[in-house]
Amino acid sequence: MSLSRRSFVQTLGVGATGLWITSRGREGSLFAQANQPLAGGPPSIILSSNENPLGTHKDVLAAIRGAAFPEAGRYPGAIFVEVMDLLAKKHGVKPENILLGSGSTQILRTATHVFTSKTAGLVAAIPAYEECADYARLMGHPITGVKLNPTDLKMDLDALQQASKGAGLVFFCNPNNPVATAITGSDTKTYLNMLMKQSANTTVLADEAYFEYGTMPGYETMIPIAVQNPRVVVARTFSKCFGMAGIRIGYAIGHKDTIAKMGDWDSVGDISVMALQGAKAALAVPDSWVKEEQKRNAAARSFTQKWFADRGYQPTDSQSNFMFINIKRPARDFREACLKEGVLVGRDFPPYEKTHVRISVGTMEEMQKAVQVFEHALAQPAKAAA
Amino acid sequence: MSLTRRRLFQRLAAPDLSAHAAMIAARGREAGLIEYGEQGMAAGAAPVRIDSNENPLGPGQHVLDAIVGKFPEAHRYPFNATQHEGVLIKAVADKFQAKPENVLLGPGSGEILTHAVRAFTAGTRPLVTAWPSFEMPRVTAKKLGAPVKEVGFDAKLKIDVAKMAESAKGAGLVFFCNPNNPTATVHGKSAVADMVKAIRTSSPDTVILIDEAYHDYVTDPSYQSAVDIALSTPNVFVTRTFSKAYGMAGLRAGYAIGQADTIKQIQKFKMPYGLGTLTLGAALVGLGNDEHIQQERKRNTDVRAFTVKAFADMGITGTDTQTNFLFMDIKRPAAGFRDACRAAGVFVGRDFPPFEKQYARISIGTMAEMQKAVEVFKKVLGTTPTTSSKERR
Repeated sequence: MSLSRRSFVQTLGVGATGLWITSRGREGSLFAQANQPLAGGPPSIILSSNENPLGTHKDVLAAIRGAAFPEAGRYPGAIFVEVMDLLAKKHGVKPENILLGSGSTQILRTATHVFTSKTAGLVAAIPAYEECADYARLMGHPITGVKLNPTDLKMDLDALQQASKGAGLVFFCNPNNPVATAITGSDTKTYLNMLMKQSANTTVLADEAYFEYGTMPGYETMIPIAVQNPRVVVARTFSKCFGMAGIRIGYAIGHKDTIAKMGDWDSVGDISVMALQGAKAALAVPDSWVKEEQKRNAAARSFTQKWFADRGYQPTDSQSNFMFINIKRPARDFREACLKEGVLVGRDFPPYEKTHVRISVGTMEEMQKAVQVFEHALAQPAKAAA
Repeated sequence: MSLTRRRLFQRLAAPDLSAHAAMIAARGREAGLIEYGEQGMAAGAAPVRIDSNENPLGPGQHVLDAIVGKFPEAHRYPFNATQHEGVLIKAVADKFQAKPENVLLGPGSGEILTHAVRAFTAGTRPLVTAWPSFEMPRVTAKKLGAPVKEVGFDAKLKIDVAKMAESAKGAGLVFFCNPNNPTATVHGKSAVADMVKAIRTSSPDTVILIDEAYHDYVTDPSYQSAVDIALSTPNVFVTRTFSKAYGMAGLRAGYAIGQADTIKQIQKFKMPYGLGTLTLGAALVGLGNDEHIQQERKRNTDVRAFTVKAFADMGITGTDTQTNFLFMDIKRPAAGFRDACRAAGVFVGRDFPPFEKQYARISIGTMAEMQKAVEVFKKVLGTTPTTSSKERR
């Protein structure tokens, strides 16, 4: 690794939180801000939290009504087993390879708890989804941030590999939130192979929350590796593609020993019967629907990306249901201008908050309306990025 | 049953819950899950599930309607929903004339208990708990390697509060479940106040957690909630749940209330977005309907009295129950009783050592369920006591 590459690797002290924003709760305050009386009322188009704009899949809602309501007074029981069995079948693994969580949030926190320590810290790209870093900070475990490749804002795998030596856990968010870029399966495997050889006690958590939205050739899941290799674990969620962000269920897939270790730390008592019955229904949704949802998202995404690119504002190669766009001005100015017209876009993501904004992909209709608002916001002269 | 299923249930049934606690799905459910899984549903009639201290009626229609009303926002993270956590926090605070900073939400009070143990105990700061009591704090302390000091009971199976105060010296956290699960007994307001005072004097850094999960079912006039003590005393907080009288065990909502400094320390461990958008909507509507809770208390009191009397007629007595379950001196091992009841389609509570050779915990179902259950109890208890037909699972 060249010296210049090395300089991209920064070791952040526990207190050095400047580059990592506190978890998605920050978006809550963003919405609270949006809830302040506005001339045009509350935001009519929410493009700030990478949710599915179509809402929750109708089969999920039907299952909550039909199957969860009659059991709402009972602690969830056998449904846990049913969902684990269905997930195992879907992924061609065994139930012992699966751990359920209250969203993948709980999976991320559990992995951080189990695999990091005061001496073996967390390594993640900057920026990446912050849950693991937040938890490591809470526990006082060291955090090492690795800058992205500056040209395409993909994870810099050489730098990541270097920084990963001796780490307890590497958080490998792929596609990466908030920058939307993804790493191919073959590059990921090369990284994992190198890491396995050079760092005997490091576990890698591959967060595939946006898996269903990845469209680039060569993007693939690490589940087959995770079930074989005790040091690789994959996180998935029902929040995105199935529109279940408000229902709270996700899962980890990994080697049975890894899953047992994670399962021994925290309980599944946070997961509601609505989430479990909803997940069961989602797992019965045909793959053809998921393909359609991927297509729908890709179409609205490429419409919006092209709109920005045509005006000289470069998006990253998004493989998710959100975009990261160089708007050549502080995200905050853009966000505030959009909010005045009822469109809520993503919060600040340091160190890119002075140039880039994250915009979730709404429906095509929403994006067609939103670009008109973006047009107005971008027409205002960009203030100095001080 | 597949090997995997067996393993899952074994995890739940492991005698030392600390070893395999991952699948403990909140309060009480563990018992039912084991049996549900092993037996499946009894052929024909649905089993009478009186093993997990649930409200047999579930949530009221007003709560279910509220959930349906939230369906259009089910795809939104809770912080993006029109009724976000802040709205429920405010509603809870208002109920107790407190401020939002006095309130912490959790997906069930179980998570709050777990986080309190994480926040306040350590290798040198023990957990003090009655034993048996609700097991989650103890399970968590054992996982963390924090010592656990167990406190026993008086002759009426009320928690030995004097012993509890004494054991609290130097402890990180005192877990005081009032009424206590599984013994069903309660301490009155002055006993609680005296214990808190004693601990505050002898060990002011010790945090006291008063778990009032069964608050709404208490009928003993000497009892009063300790919320006012929590709000006026440092290092004391109360937990409540929507899982019992509110009938929402499957929906996962609970809360803690105490002074802001105390709440803040637990809050650090809170998992983001633990309460879903639908659950928030349900809890808000549930909280706002006090009349429904009054009715549920009356229903439980009536069915409880019927069941207690039916046992008395059989010559069987229990503790002075102040909850939605009974702790009955069946004069024989719980396991044999449980197996025999299960064979007749009635699921009762698991073993609670050291009382498992003599006492059974029986939750209160509907009147129709308890009438059916009583007939089964009569048959089972009318026979000569035997030891369990099976090895302890």
